[in-house]
Amino acid sequence: MRHTPLSEWHEKNGGKMVDFHGWALPLQFRGIIQEHLHTRGAVSLFDCSHMGEFLIQGAESIRLFDRLVFCDVLGLPVGRARYGSILNERGGIVDDVVVMRVAEDELLVSTNAVTQEKVANYIAANVPGACNASKTTAKIDVQGPMSGHAMRRLGLDAIDPLQYYTCCKTHWRDTPITISRAGYTGELGYECFVPNDLAEPLWDSLLEWEQVRPAGLGARDTLRLEMGYTLYGQDVDESRTTLEAGMGRFIHWGRDFVGRDALCLRGEKRDYPFRTGIRSKSRQAPRAGQEVQWKGEVVGVVTSGTYGPSVGCGIGMAYLPHQLAVPGMELMVGPRAIPVETAQLPFYRHGTCRC
Amino acid sequence: MYPEHLKYTRDHEWLRDDGDVFVVGITDHAAELLGDVTYVELPQTGTIVRQGDEAAVVESVKAASDVFAPVGGRIVAVNTALEGRPELVNESPYRDGWFFKLEDVNTIEVDALMDVAAYRRYVAENV
Repeated sequence: MRHTPLSEWHEKNGGKMVDFHGWALPLQFRGIIQEHLHTRGAVSLFDCSHMGEFLIQGAESIRLFDRLVFCDVLGLPVGRARYGSILNERGGIVDDVVVMRVAEDELLVSTNAVTQEKVANYIAANVPGACNASKTTAKIDVQGPMSGHAMRRLGLDAIDPLQYYTCCKTHWRDTPITISRAGYTGELGYECFVPNDLAEPLWDSLLEWEQVRPAGLGARDTLRLEMGYTLYGQDVDESRTTLEAGMGRFIHWGRDFVGRDALCLRGEKRDYPFRTGIRSKSRQAPRAGQEVQWKGEVVGVVTSGTYGPSVGCGIGMAYLPHQLAVPGMELMVGPRAIPVETAQLPFYRHGTCRC
Repeated sequence: MYPEHLKYTRDHEWLRDDGDVFVVGITDHAAELLGDVTYVELPQTGTIVRQGDEAAVVESVKAASDVFAPVGGRIVAVNTALEGRPELVNESPYRDGWFFKLEDVNTIEVDALMDVAAYRRYVAENV
C-alpha cells in the first residue's frame, strides 16, 4: 500500500486506516458524524496527499493544456482557480480537476488519486513540458468556518485577500507553498500544497490550536455529498459525459477543447440520464449501486448515498431520465423500497465556503 | 468488553436470558465495525421468527446491515427508543441499545450459541 507523508501520523493517532485506491488513509478518527459536525462548526484537517498535482509552465504548455479541459484556462487570471474536467473524445470524463493560475506562466493542476496514472500519461502525451509533482507534493485541506484563524495563527497572512476559488504562492518556514481557497466540504477552507517534508510540521502546527481536529475520508464523503459534489469513479467516470453529470454550466463553449463536438451533439438531443439529488423521507439512506424505481419500473441507479448528519436524513445522487430529474418526484430506492424524492442540490445550504 | 452472562452469534448478535423473555442486541464489536449508527428498522411485535431470519436492519453512515434472529421465537417487544436515538447502539450496546425481546424461544438453539469465551475467540480469529 502507498503511504502519504502523514499515513504514519494517522496510524499513531487513532486513525482507523483503510485502503483507499491503494493508499493508506484514515476512514475516521473519533467518528464520522463527530468529524462531520466539527467541520461544519469549527475546523478540520484532511490529508489529501494521495491526490495528484501537475505543474504546467510556460505559455506554450499552458496553451496545450487549455485544449484538454472544458473550462477556459488561457483566460484564467493570475491568482484565480477554476473547476474543470479533462474529457475524452466522446465527452466522457477522464478526470475532474481544479486548475490554479499561480503565476502568469504557471498552472498548478490538482487531480484525483484514482485516476493518477491515466491522467499522468494523458497529460504527458499532450503537454510535453508538464511536470508531475504528485510524488513530492503533500496536500492538506483546512476546512471549516474557523479555518482562516487556524491559518493566521501560523503566520499565513497571505490568505487574507483570498476569495472563494482564488490562490496564492507564499512561504512557510522559508519554504515556498501554494494555497488555494477551495475545498470539498462546502465550508470556508484552504488547500495547502506543500513539499512532502513540510506536511507533518504543518499538520502538527495547525493542530496546536484546540479548535483544530483531524478528520478522515468518511466525513469528507458525507460533507461533499451534502453539497452535491461528485466523487470521481463513483458519480462520474469516462462512461458519463459532463452534461449527464450536470456540469454544463462550468463549460466555456466558445473555444476548442477535446470532447466539445461530442458534447454539442449530445446536448442537442438531451436523451441522456441526468445526475439528480435524492432525499430520503427518513434517516434511511440510499446506497451506491441501488436501483431507483418509479411507478414500479427501474428508472436509474444510485451512485452515492449516505446519511447526511447536517440535514438529518438519507441523501444521495442518482442518474435519472430528464422528465424525472426535477425536484419533488417521488421514487423508491433499493430492495427495501426506501421512499425518496428528487431534490435540488446542494442538500445543505448553510455552508460558509463563499463567506 | 463482552459481558459474561450473554450468548453470542457469529453475526455478532447477543442474547440475554431475562427469565421471562430473551433480549437481543448487537455486540460492541459489531457497533464498532458499523461506525455511527444512523437508523434502525425494527420488526413488528407479534412476528414469529426462525433462527437466522432477518429481524431488523441497522444503518450507519457507511452501510446498511441486517440483524438476524439469534434463535427462533416470537417478538414481544421492540426498543422504540432507537427510532429517535439510533446512536444508543454505539453508546450502550448491551443496555439501552437493545433491539427486540423474544418469547417462546427454542431453548436448544439458545444452548448451542457461543458463550463469552467462545465469542471472544471467534472475534480474535476473524479480525
